[in-house]
Amino acid sequence: MDKNALIEVAEQLVEKIDDLPTIPVVATQVLQLLDQPDVSVEDVADLMLTDQVMTARVMKMLNSPVYKPSHEITSLKRALVYLGLRHIREVALTTSVISAFESDSGAFDISAFWEHSFGVGMVSKTIAAKVGYPDLEKAYISGIIHDLGVVFLSNFMREEFLAVLDSIKGRPIKLADAEIERFGTSHCEIGLSMARKWNFPDAYCEVIAYHHSPGEATIDPVLCAIVNLANLFCSVRGLDYGGREWVSFNLFDEPAWQILKKEYPRLAELDVERFCYELDDAIPDVQELVSSIFNSKE
Amino acid sequence: MSISDKDFEQLRDFIYNLCGMYFHSTKKYFLESRLARRMEATGSKTHMEYYQLLKSIRGNEELKFLMDEITTNETYFFRNIPQLNALETKLLPEIVETKNKMGFRKLRIWSAASSSGEEAYTMAMILLEKRNTLLKDWIIEIVGTDINETVIAQAKEGVYNAYSVRNIPDLYKRKYIREDNGLFGLFVLAPEVKKFVTFNKLNLYDDNKMIFMKTFDIIFCANVLIYFDTASKSKVVQHFYNNLQPYGYFFVGQSESLHGVNDKFKTVHFPGGFTYKK
Repeated sequence: MDKNALIEVAEQLVEKIDDLPTIPVVATQVLQLLDQPDVSVEDVADLMLTDQVMTARVMKMLNSPVYKPSHEITSLKRALVYLGLRHIREVALTTSVISAFESDSGAFDISAFWEHSFGVGMVSKTIAAKVGYPDLEKAYISGIIHDLGVVFLSNFMREEFLAVLDSIKGRPIKLADAEIERFGTSHCEIGLSMARKWNFPDAYCEVIAYHHSPGEATIDPVLCAIVNLANLFCSVRGLDYGGREWVSFNLFDEPAWQILKKEYPRLAELDVERFCYELDDAIPDVQELVSSIFNSKE
Repeated sequence: MSISDKDFEQLRDFIYNLCGMYFHSTKKYFLESRLARRMEATGSKTHMEYYQLLKSIRGNEELKFLMDEITTNETYFFRNIPQLNALETKLLPEIVETKNKMGFRKLRIWSAASSSGEEAYTMAMILLEKRNTLLKDWIIEIVGTDINETVIAQAKEGVYNAYSVRNIPDLYKRKYIREDNGLFGLFVLAPEVKKFVTFNKLNLYDDNKMIFMKTFDIIFCANVLIYFDTASKSKVVQHFYNNLQPYGYFFVGQSESLHGVNDKFKTVHFPGGFTYKK
């Protein structure tokens, strides 16, 4: 189906929702500040510190075993230095997304959703490191936000989305295909519409739109391929929203594998089996991170 | 002695590189208790000392003892649920579709290292359940082979204890096993399950016999290759590869890996596991 037609339907769906969550005031101010020339890390840190929840979440995200910084990062300023100015925007947006969708009123357990998302973030970062992709933070954040559209469907089209999930339960049918059949669009395009509304940078919008079809990406196909593979691996190794989708794939036939191998031939040496087993071992870390992020308000 | 994370990772890597079996972190305490026995037997005072022993000239001999400790020789019905789910959900229907197109309605499955037969009979039950649907009018052949004649005799007899049958779903339990009236606590397999399966003695090292195990759609070989050195493993796996139909699948055990053993097989992933596709 034509991608533009899918995007059009998605935009209409997103427009229809009156109470679409907005970005917290501080996040908006951070984004504005980042647009100014000569902005300093101190300025951004001072502003972010006025939002304790955001500060705590940034610290938790960066200090978890999932992210593995070489030293514990103890102050927000150090965290921002570590991230680099270019990534503060994304972290501010990501923590905003978490704040916007932390209620448990959706079609499924929200912590299962974030476990999948942070799992894909972690695995994206691992794959990025293995292939030598230059921006690990970008891979991490892309993984965390790739399924933005799913929370929209879960929260604002709850009953219909439940019916979709029910219709594919235990069957080898792709969620995105079932969504298109039901809604005329999928979580990829809905996520894209939301990300555009929230002014996410283009490369991130692209990951959200093409994480199931990295071959169609134009800005950063390698990043889309990394997130695509990470998503596939998480979906078969227990970070799968409690089995909402029965995923199966032949790794070497995946377009993402081809894209990455062309760019980084050393990927061919990856011990795929061990990679899967190590992913199993990392699941408790992901679960701990998610539970700590959601308890960071207290 | 409790094992440190560093020692655990070192031993895990050592075992993985040598045998192709991965010890998940959740198995740390299991490994710890089994190691304790071997450390006592060899007089090793620390995990590091034992690790050095494994790496030494005497290591090969010690490794066999360690493997005996850490591989539980148990088997039971419906052991690897993710594998069975993948077969039922996707792989089996695909194989059937491919063979239907060729007008070849016969399914051949091999449980290599079949032990007392649980794996082979599990497949028999699952396929039997599809006799009126997916596999209507199909010929089903399931072959179990093992090097050990005692377990082959057990497999042919088809009588099991409560432990073996504990994982069989109720639907299958009701239909395909019954409690033995004479012998308390034992379960007897229905004749209709048994008739699909034949058991034979086979040494996987025996090249002359291996080349005759032809045209299988699915081969299982769980927790056996870990005992072979890399060269023998490569040879045996190449036999399995040759013995599969072009669209066939090869299954190993739940924590096993064929990485570096054979570069022709492709990994196919499914929830909770993966298989090797020709």
